[in-house]
Amino acid sequence: MSIGLGHCLLLAAMLFSIGLYGALAKRNIIAILMGIELMLNAVNINFVAFNRFTVVSDLTGQLMTVFAITVGVAEVAIGVALAYRIYNDRLTINVDELDNMKG
Amino acid sequence: MNEMISTLVFYVLAMVILGTALGVVMSRNLVHSALLMTACFIGVGILFFYLDADFLGAMEFMLYSGGVAILVVMGVMLTKRHDGPPGNPFNNNTILALGGAGLFVLVMIGVVISTPAPAGGYVSPDTVNELADMMLNKYILPFEIAATLLLAALVGAIILAKGDGEA
Repeated sequence: MSIGLGHCLLLAAMLFSIGLYGALAKRNIIAILMGIELMLNAVNINFVAFNRFTVVSDLTGQLMTVFAITVGVAEVAIGVALAYRIYNDRLTINVDELDNMKG
Repeated sequence: MNEMISTLVFYVLAMVILGTALGVVMSRNLVHSALLMTACFIGVGILFFYLDADFLGAMEFMLYSGGVAILVVMGVMLTKRHDGPPGNPFNNNTILALGGAGLFVLVMIGVVISTPAPAGGYVSPDTVNELADMMLNKYILPFEIAATLLLAALVGAIILAKGDGEA
């Protein structure tokens, strides 16, 4: 049995749900960022797999992955800067304690 | 025979990616999580090579398992309070998060299995050439917007990390 689109989509779905679980169930901002990075990678796998296995005539999917990687890297840079700032101001990066804006 | 090896390579890659991703989420030590995340990104990069996307594989190695891993490890070091290994605790929503993620993966498995796989496929003989051609002709506007986004992120990260009144 050869590898097709379905295998890649299943792998990406599992990776996405692991990342989703990490992003939702963690206390540390850095750990939440790691979960978001896993989710972004799952989406990239989907883009590349669709480009590889469906009827297209150019590399649009791979180009979208280039842009997705760009946005993801910019996001993690901002996220780490934010975590550092929050830590400087409050000496904690536990998201459960950051509830100032709670009504 | 060739096809069997190809299938085997995919399953080994999938196990590496999912295993390291689970390790990222479950590890008690945040530094271990960051290192396992690097291993996961290397697996994804090899998967890109497997799917004939060689430029993207190289990009994944350089940006994710190079840049992002260093950034995250530095973030872990800069936000550590106590001596000893930085912890990686769960919050109180673990059951809810597990339910949501499990529901998502079940729905996705159902959708993928019940949809017939499309025939066809496209392999570029020279991905770098073709990507550059598309990026600078048809997709020039997204390219410029990405450049602006990177500049904004650069300035924003510096200002955030410095804080106000410390310039």
